[in-house]
Amino acid sequence: MVLPRFAWRRMFQQRLVPLLMVIAMIWPLLCAIFIYLTNHAELLKGFSKQFQSFISINGNFFLVFMIVQADFALFLAALTGPGLIAPDLANNALPLYFSRPLRRSDYAFARLATLFVLISLVTWVPGILLFGMQVGMAGSDWLHGNWRLGFGVVAGFAIWGLLVSLVAMASSAYTKMKAVSGGLVLGFFFIMGGLSGMVNVIFRVTWGNALSPQWASRRIWCAMLGVDPNEGPGVAACALVLLSFMLLLAIVIERKLRPIEVIT
Amino acid sequence: MIPQTVEFDEVSKFYGEVLGVNHVSLSIPPGITSLVGPNGAGKTTLMNLMTGLIHPDDGSIRMRGLSPRDPENLMRITGYATQYDASPRWATGFNFISTSLLLFGYSRAEAEEKAWRALQQLRLTEAAHRKIAAYSKGMRQRIRLAQAIAHEPEILVLDEPLNGLDPLVRAETIALFHQWAAQGRHVVLSSHVLQEVDVISDQIVLISNGMVVAEGKIRNVREEIHERPSQFIVRCRNASRVASVLFKEDHITEVRLNEDRMGLLVMTRDREQFSRAISRIALDGFGIDAVIPADENVDALYEYLIGEGR
Repeated sequence: MVLPRFAWRRMFQQRLVPLLMVIAMIWPLLCAIFIYLTNHAELLKGFSKQFQSFISINGNFFLVFMIVQADFALFLAALTGPGLIAPDLANNALPLYFSRPLRRSDYAFARLATLFVLISLVTWVPGILLFGMQVGMAGSDWLHGNWRLGFGVVAGFAIWGLLVSLVAMASSAYTKMKAVSGGLVLGFFFIMGGLSGMVNVIFRVTWGNALSPQWASRRIWCAMLGVDPNEGPGVAACALVLLSFMLLLAIVIERKLRPIEVIT
Repeated sequence: MIPQTVEFDEVSKFYGEVLGVNHVSLSIPPGITSLVGPNGAGKTTLMNLMTGLIHPDDGSIRMRGLSPRDPENLMRITGYATQYDASPRWATGFNFISTSLLLFGYSRAEAEEKAWRALQQLRLTEAAHRKIAAYSKGMRQRIRLAQAIAHEPEILVLDEPLNGLDPLVRAETIALFHQWAAQGRHVVLSSHVLQEVDVISDQIVLISNGMVVAEGKIRNVREEIHERPSQFIVRCRNASRVASVLFKEDHITEVRLNEDRMGLLVMTRDREQFSRAISRIALDGFGIDAVIPADENVDALYEYLIGEGR
C-alpha cells in the first residue's frame, strides 16, 4: 500500500484534481435530489400523472447517471494518469523502485490501483450510494425487483474504470511527457469513436460501433441495467472488443515498463 | 550451505544487436570489488544484471545463492545505487529513505530508525529534513548511497559511488566501504578514477568491450601479464653500480637511472629472478634501501590490458 499511498498524495497536489472531483459530485447530488423527489409523492402533487410516471428510478435513470459520470472519470484519468509513470520514466526512477523487493507487476498494479480507486470515487461509489439511498427510501420490495441495478452500476463502472485506467497508464508509460500523455488518453477515446463512425458509414454497417470503447461499454451497461440498447453489435462482441483493448494496453505497459531503457 | 559469492556463469546480454556483455564468468568473493573499464565496456550492464534490472540472454547469475529473477528475496540482501540521480526532489532526505524502507515491509518505527542510521553513516543528519531539491550534488550522491545501505544489505552494488564527493566525504565514504567489507559484505563498485580503485579495492574486474579481461587481486592480475616487463623502483645509495650489475642479468630489459642518482627504474621479464638478483646485490653490500613495484596498480593494468584498445 506504500506505492499507491504516495502516488495519491502526489495526485492531489495537482490543483485541478480536487476541483474536478468536486465538480464530478454535482451530478450525483442532482440525482440524489431526483431520487428524493420521486420517493416523496406529496412533493410532486402539482405535476401531471404522465410526468410522475416518467420520473421513476429504473435502469434508464442509472444509465444516464453512468454516462455522465463516465465522462468525468475519463477527464480525471486524462488529468492524473500521466503523472503515474511518465515522471518515473523521465527521471530514471524505475531502477530505484526495482531496487526494492518489488516485481514489475507489483509496481504496475500499484499504479493501476491508484487510478482505479480515484476513478471509483466519482463512479461506482456515488453510484452505489444513490442505489442505497433509493433502497432506503423505496424499501425492500423495490430492492427485490431491482437488485440488478446495483450490480450493474458497480460492475459496469468497474469495467469502465479498468479500461480508462489502463489507457491512462499505457499512455503515461508510452510518452514520458505528461501533457502529451494526457492528450493521448482523450485522443484514444476520441479517435476510436471517430473510427467506429467511419467504419459504419463506409461499410453501411452498425458493427463498427463496437470499435468505440464508449459505445461498447454502454452496450454492456444496457445489458446489466436491463435497458433496451441502441442498434448495433451484441454484448458478447462488445465484451470481446473491450477485452482485446485491455489486453493490447497491458502489452504496451509490459513492454514500456522496463527499469532500464534499452535503445537498440 | 548458501554460497557466499556472486557468481556469473557464461553470462551474455545483448541489446538487440548491440553487445552488452559476452560470456562473462566471474566469482566475486566478499570484500570490495571494483569494476574497471572504459565507457561502454559493460560495467553498468553487469551491475544491472546483478540486481535483476535486466536479465541475461544466456548464462546464469547467483547472488549469494539467490537468483536476480527473485527480487522479493534478492533485494532484501542487496542494495543498489544506480548512476542516475533520481531521488525525488519534492521529498526530504529522511522521508525518501524511510519511505523506501516501508517498501521492504518494515514498520514505520523500524523504517525511521534505519533511515536515521543510514543518514548518520553518510553524514546527512543535518540535512535530513531539507528537501532533496535543496541538496548539493555531493549530498544527492550521498542520499543515493544512503538509500542503498539503509536496509543493511549483504551485497552492495554501487555505480560510480564516489562521483561528486568532496575529498573529505570521499575519504569517509571509502572508510565506510572498508568497514562494510570487513563485516563480510560484498561491495561491488565501478569507478573511472583508477588511483582511487587502487586504494579501495580488494579485487578488481577489468572489463573491455563487454568481456572480462582480467579479474582478481591487483598483484595476481599483474603477475599474469607475462608479455609486459614488470617495473620496479629501486632506491639505493650507489645507483650507477647497481645498474651495471643488474644489466648483466638476462631477464633485465631496461634500467633507467634516476636524476638524483639515488634510484633506478628497472624493467624485468622475470619477477622471481629479479627478486633473487636484488637479494644478492643487497647481500654484496650495495646498500639497497627499498624495492617498490611500479606497475602493480590498476592504472598500469588498465593501460596494459585495455589502454591499447581504447
